[in-house]
Amino acid sequence: MTKQTFLHDKHVELGARMVDFAGWEMPVQYTSIIEEHKAVRNSVGIFDVSHMGEIIIRGEDSLPFLNKIVPQNIADLPTFKAIYCQLTNKNAGIIDDLIIYKLKENEYLIIANASRIDEDLNWMVRNKLGFNVDIINESHNYSLLAVQGPKACELLNHIGITSLPPFFSIKRDELFNINIWISRTGYTGEDGVEILVKNEFSEYLWDKLLELGKDFNIKPIGLGARDTLRLEAALHLYGNDLDENTTPIEAALSWSIPKDKKEEYNGKLVIENQLKNGINKKLIGFKMLDKSIARHGYDIYYDNNKIGIVTSGGFSPSRGDNIGLAYIKNLDNLSVGSTIQIMIRDKLHEAEIIKRPFVTKRNKVNN
Amino acid sequence: MNESMLCTKTHEYILEQDDKYLVGITDYAIEQLGDIVFIELPDIDTEFSKNEAFATIESVKAASEIYMPISGKVLEINEEIVNNPELLNDENYENKWFIKIQSDANQIEFADLLDYSDYKEEIE
Repeated sequence: MTKQTFLHDKHVELGARMVDFAGWEMPVQYTSIIEEHKAVRNSVGIFDVSHMGEIIIRGEDSLPFLNKIVPQNIADLPTFKAIYCQLTNKNAGIIDDLIIYKLKENEYLIIANASRIDEDLNWMVRNKLGFNVDIINESHNYSLLAVQGPKACELLNHIGITSLPPFFSIKRDELFNINIWISRTGYTGEDGVEILVKNEFSEYLWDKLLELGKDFNIKPIGLGARDTLRLEAALHLYGNDLDENTTPIEAALSWSIPKDKKEEYNGKLVIENQLKNGINKKLIGFKMLDKSIARHGYDIYYDNNKIGIVTSGGFSPSRGDNIGLAYIKNLDNLSVGSTIQIMIRDKLHEAEIIKRPFVTKRNKVNN
Repeated sequence: MNESMLCTKTHEYILEQDDKYLVGITDYAIEQLGDIVFIELPDIDTEFSKNEAFATIESVKAASEIYMPISGKVLEINEEIVNNPELLNDENYENKWFIKIQSDANQIEFADLLDYSDYKEEIE
């Protein structure tokens, strides 16, 4: 039985094509993925991402508990700030990637991937021994709307959010007399916000944003464009680019790992060892050198040897070419500019390793 | 113009033209695929059996294989739709074929093909 968000009927009314995603019936597109993609790059789009999980960590040991389950240093996180984290197992494999927000002393909000909520909760409960914390799954009580694009903040100012939280921050606010948590985060590489609201107000908020967003050319955006947008921004998709057999170092997430964290955490030995001695596989970005498209699961070759696998791939509406993310053997001679080959339907096609992200991100603004 | 057109339940069509057949996909399939970005066609002279995949369509979302409605040998491929997938929005099926084939298919191969009105009913 697939679950529906509280905005399900709105999507159907708007003519969306609905698909099953992580056990949820979600809109994949309303009109066209390319059109929706361009709306977010050029003006503003609204996404229903209510399938995402919300987990509250509360109690006097919240900080040491979180510090045990992620490699990041939660002690450095000020109130109302957000941090990108990975929930790691003992081998530093990634159980999920998360955004953790500090709401107040001893209270944190975790935004988790829909497909991973149960695994996350199980793992947290298994790690809870000795910590005085409550782990509360609030996923079924909240809807999450993302408003993303270069005009997103202008639109929010226009409808009554007078001061927006800075990049990677959250604040409590009111919109049309509805209590919301609004955070300056997203999954598109554009400026924008995500709005957390109690389920019963989500339809009203959705309608209002679409109606008042008309002057800003707002469009509802499905999961199809969400995927092309995040791929261009080289943001990982759990289940494609991240899994329990991949560490944050291999996944090119070293930037998110503090090198001086004193506390023990799950997978610390592996991460420290990989930082010191290197890794066997690494995440790279590539573009196809012909018109073919490399998809998830296609094999990568170099010098007639299989050296890796594509984890995400597709057409880039902003660039007009075909791009992807892949894991390859960490060979010294393979770096940006190198040519590799990808097996597509029994034929090898050339691709070039290129820099990530694939487009210039425009989300780090502070007004 | 759709009188001689025959369709499969997987949304391919054949259109007879001077003892040869044009093979393509229906408007319904084109709409379902969404934004089409690339079409991969077979080499000329390749022979395919009925129901064998002969082409691949890459939409933004996924790669989809296109199957032969009847067996046959590829005589021509439509380079224009490869260079410009937008042409698939043309209303005339005679302009948006994928391949032209020569076929010795017998009646049995035609048995499960639908004429256009039956196909229309099938997808409604």
